[in-house]
Amino acid sequence: MERVKYKLSPHMIAWLFHRLSGIAIVLYLILHVWGLKALAQGPEQFNHLIAKYHLPAFKIGEILLLAACAYHAFNGFRIVLVDLLGWSNKQKKMWFVAAGLALLIVIVGGYPSLMAVLG
Amino acid sequence: MKNYQYGQSSKSNAFNWFFHRISGTLLIFFLVTHFWVQHYNSSTQSVGHKAVNSSELEKVSQGTKENTLGYPEGGKLTPYDRVMQRLKSPDYAILWKAFNILFLVFALHHGFYGLTNIISDYVKNGTARAIAVTACWLLAGTLFVVGAYSTIVAGLDLGSKATAWLP
Repeated sequence: MERVKYKLSPHMIAWLFHRLSGIAIVLYLILHVWGLKALAQGPEQFNHLIAKYHLPAFKIGEILLLAACAYHAFNGFRIVLVDLLGWSNKQKKMWFVAAGLALLIVIVGGYPSLMAVLG
Repeated sequence: MKNYQYGQSSKSNAFNWFFHRISGTLLIFFLVTHFWVQHYNSSTQSVGHKAVNSSELEKVSQGTKENTLGYPEGGKLTPYDRVMQRLKSPDYAILWKAFNILFLVFALHHGFYGLTNIISDYVKNGTARAIAVTACWLLAGTLFVVGAYSTIVAGLDLGSKATAWLP
């Protein structure tokens, strides 16, 4: 059996982050859909679930989730532009733009969650 | 047993590949809208900005009027009340429920198609791969049924019988 060897180049890191963030988001999606059925089950179940989402561990998880979503969305859109519009000659520049925008979103959007835990 | 190696697969996956890009692009729009309504617009948000420590969790989760989840009106409404406020007008409720069911379909297809791609990269044994891929789509199907059903019956006051089958 032939084994594929991975070399840790910047391209590989872009790809690996995309894959890991994708797995993380699918795991969250499962929890999210499974949890939110509480909305149909009644006020007690739903309010209890939302209260749990405000525990410090979940607030930190919220920031990690935002990071995974922001990176996956911007890098994914870069892949769409390369695949569907053929912008492959700009793909490297676009990765830095995507990563920069993701970082900005995490800082701005993660601030309230971080302050909720620290403050 | 179906063989998934390149060139030997009986069905082309080109549609799924293309749809992955389309659903991914649409998910950006869905996610931004969902986020705005749920987390950032103070008149509609159902998730506040305060952390709650485990000792006060029980009190807050009872939905008492002084819950400390950090809503603009000082917690006079519980998270459940706030969602019900959004669903009060029937037109608006249909719009939001349709939005969320579409969001669910795109998210599940995008996520689980991605997951089956990853499985195809690492699981070389044909039988094991077929089992893993089938399990993924079964899970996605289950989540669709539970998610879509919960969305449709939310706020309809159908009584506990309507949701008794939910796990």
